[in-house]
Amino acid sequence: MTKAIRIHETGGPEVLKWEDVELGDPGDGEVRIKHSASGLNFIDCYQRSGLYPIELPITLGTEGAGVIEALGPGVEGLEIGQRVAYAGGQMGSYSEARNISAGVLVPLPDSIEDQTAAAMMLKGMTSHMLLFKCYVVKSGDTILVHAAAGGVGSIMCQWANALGATVIGTVGSDEKAEKAKSNGCHHPINYSTEDFAERVSEITDGKGVPVVYESIGKNTYEKSMDCLENFGTLVNFGNASGPIPAIEPLELMRRGSLALSRPTLFNYTADQEMRLKAAGDLFDVVGSGKVKIEIGQTFPLSETAAAHTALESRQTMGSTILLP
Amino acid sequence: MASRKSAAVFLREHGGPEVLKLEDTEIGDPGPGEIRLKQTAIGINFSEVHTRKRPSGTHSNPLPLILGREAAGVVEAIGQDVEGFEIGERVAYGLRRQQGAYTECRLIPAHELVAIPDRISDETAAAIMVKGMTACYLARRTFEVGPGHSVLVQAAAGGVGTILCQWAHHLGATVLGTVSSEAKADHARAHGCDHPIIYTKEDFATRARELTNGEGVDVIYDPIGEPTWEGSFKSLKQRGLMVNYGWAGGRVTELEPLDLMNMGSLTFTKTALYNYANTRENMLGLAHELFDVVASGAIKVEIGQSFSLKNAALAHEALETGKTMGSTILIP
Repeated sequence: MTKAIRIHETGGPEVLKWEDVELGDPGDGEVRIKHSASGLNFIDCYQRSGLYPIELPITLGTEGAGVIEALGPGVEGLEIGQRVAYAGGQMGSYSEARNISAGVLVPLPDSIEDQTAAAMMLKGMTSHMLLFKCYVVKSGDTILVHAAAGGVGSIMCQWANALGATVIGTVGSDEKAEKAKSNGCHHPINYSTEDFAERVSEITDGKGVPVVYESIGKNTYEKSMDCLENFGTLVNFGNASGPIPAIEPLELMRRGSLALSRPTLFNYTADQEMRLKAAGDLFDVVGSGKVKIEIGQTFPLSETAAAHTALESRQTMGSTILLP
Repeated sequence: MASRKSAAVFLREHGGPEVLKLEDTEIGDPGPGEIRLKQTAIGINFSEVHTRKRPSGTHSNPLPLILGREAAGVVEAIGQDVEGFEIGERVAYGLRRQQGAYTECRLIPAHELVAIPDRISDETAAAIMVKGMTACYLARRTFEVGPGHSVLVQAAAGGVGTILCQWAHHLGATVLGTVSSEAKADHARAHGCDHPIIYTKEDFATRARELTNGEGVDVIYDPIGEPTWEGSFKSLKQRGLMVNYGWAGGRVTELEPLDLMNMGSLTFTKTALYNYANTRENMLGLAHELFDVVASGAIKVEIGQSFSLKNAALAHEALETGKTMGSTILIP
C-alpha cells in the first residue's frame, strides 16, 4: 500500500485526491522507486484540466527522483539502492512509490541531490530540447524567453546566458523581473506595464530575434510573431494562457517565412541515446554551477492541489517540488 | 539612346491560356538606376498560371499586365547612376513579387540583375533563376540538407523539384519524390531522385514510411498545398520539418499548433523567395551558389520545352495540364 494523488475526473485543482493505492511488484522491465521528491509542471495542470486528454483514473505527475527499491525481471544496468530520476513518459510521480519502466530512468550522479533532480529533470531536459534542438542557440544570438522567472524560464535564462546569448525575458511583476535578472536575463520586460514587442524591437534596433520561446500561448503568440526576424522560429511549448488557436499558414510567410515549432519533451527523450545525452549535458551545466536550480517552493505531496493553484495563478518562482 | 519597339505578351483580362496575347509595345529609355534589356530567353513559373487565372490575393497586380518573373538577355542601354554593368553584357534576373518578363525587351532596375558566367547559357539562366534560387534557399537555408538526411520532394519532376532533387542528392541526402506518372518517375530518377513515388498509384505517405524503415523523412518540400497536406505531415519523422512553398493544388487556411505536437513535435514553415532574396546581397548569395553548382555539373538543367514567345498561351496550357517536364522557356 502506498499514498498517491489521483484524479477520477478532469477539472480544477479540487479534482486532485490523496488516496491509498495498491502497489504490486514491478513487472517485466520495470523497477519500483521510492520517491524522495516529485516535480510540479504545467503539463500536469493541462492533463488535470483536460486540455491534454488522458485516460482516467490516473496518478498524475511526470517528474520524480528517488531510490530503487525493487527490480522486475529483465532489468539490467540498475541496482537496488541506486539513486535515479526521470522526466516525461509514464505519468505517476505524484506518489510515495511507484513502478516505472527502467527504460526512462537516468542514474543520478553524486553531485545532484534528489530534490534538485526532482526540481530540474523535466524543466532542465525541456530547456535542453529548446536551446539545442528546436533552435540551436549560438553565442551572439538574442533570444526571447517568456515566463522568464518560471521553472523552465529560470533554467533557460541561465543556460542561454552561459552559451553567450543575449537573453530578453518577459515576466509578470517587478519582483519577477529582479529574479530573472539574477538568473542571467539581460533584459527582463514586465509585460503588465510594458509592450514586450515594442521593447524587443528597441532592444534589437528593430531587427527582431531569431527565436521566441512561447509558453504563454493564446495571449502572447501574435506579439511573439511580431518579435521575430525573417526566418525566425516560434517555439510553442506551453499554453499557460490557453493554447494558440489555428493559425493561417500564409500568415507565417507574410511575416517573413517564419517557422512554427510545437515540441513536446517525450519526442526528445524516448530514444535512450538522446535522453542520456540531454541528461548528461544538464548534469554537467548544473554541476559546473553555471545553472543553479532554485527550489522556489515546496509542498507536501498530500497538498498538491494547493501547489496547482499557486502555479496556475502565477504565484510561484523557480521550481516547485512535492515531498512525500 | 532612343526608345524602341518590342513584342510583349499582355494579360488584359483574367482567364484561360487564350487571354495571353502578343502585342507591340514601346519601350522607353532606361531611367536612373535602370537598364534596358534585350531578352534572349524567358522562364515560366507555375505561379504565373495562378496570376493569369485570377487576381492574386497577397499582392495583386493591376491589369493590363505582362507576366513573367525570370529571364536572361543582353544589356542594351544603361540609365544614370548604374554601376557595375556594361552594354553587351549577359545578365539574368529572377523577380520575387514583380512581373514583366514575357517580352522581347524591357526596362529593369539594375539591382535585380546578375551577370551570367560564361559556362552558363542564356537558356539555362532563364530557366533557373526563380526555380534555382528557390531550390537553393530550400536546400541550403530553410533546412541545411546534408549526408544522412532523407528528404521528400513533392512534384519531383516539376521545375523546382527537378533542381531540388539533384541538389539534395548532391548534398548527400536520400531523396524521395512524388510524381504523377511513370514517365515523370523516369525523369525524376534521372535527376537525383533516389525513390520516385507515383502518387496516383500508391499512397505516398505509406510508401515514404516504408522507404525510411518506418521512421519518416527529415524534411518535406511541398509546393502543392491542400491535396498533399495531410499526407505530407504523415510522411515526417518525429521532430521533422514541413516546408510549404506554394499552393499549386489549393490553399490551406488553418494549422493547429497542437496537431504539430500530436504528430510528433513537428515544425512547419511557409516560405517565399522574396524573404530569402530580400536584399541584393542575399539575392546574389543565392544566385552565385546556384551558378556554381550548375556550372560544376552537379545539377543538370533540362529545358523540357521551349516555346516561341508568341505561343505563351500554349506553354501555359502545357504547364497547367501537367504535360511539362523540367523547365519551360519562351524564346522572343
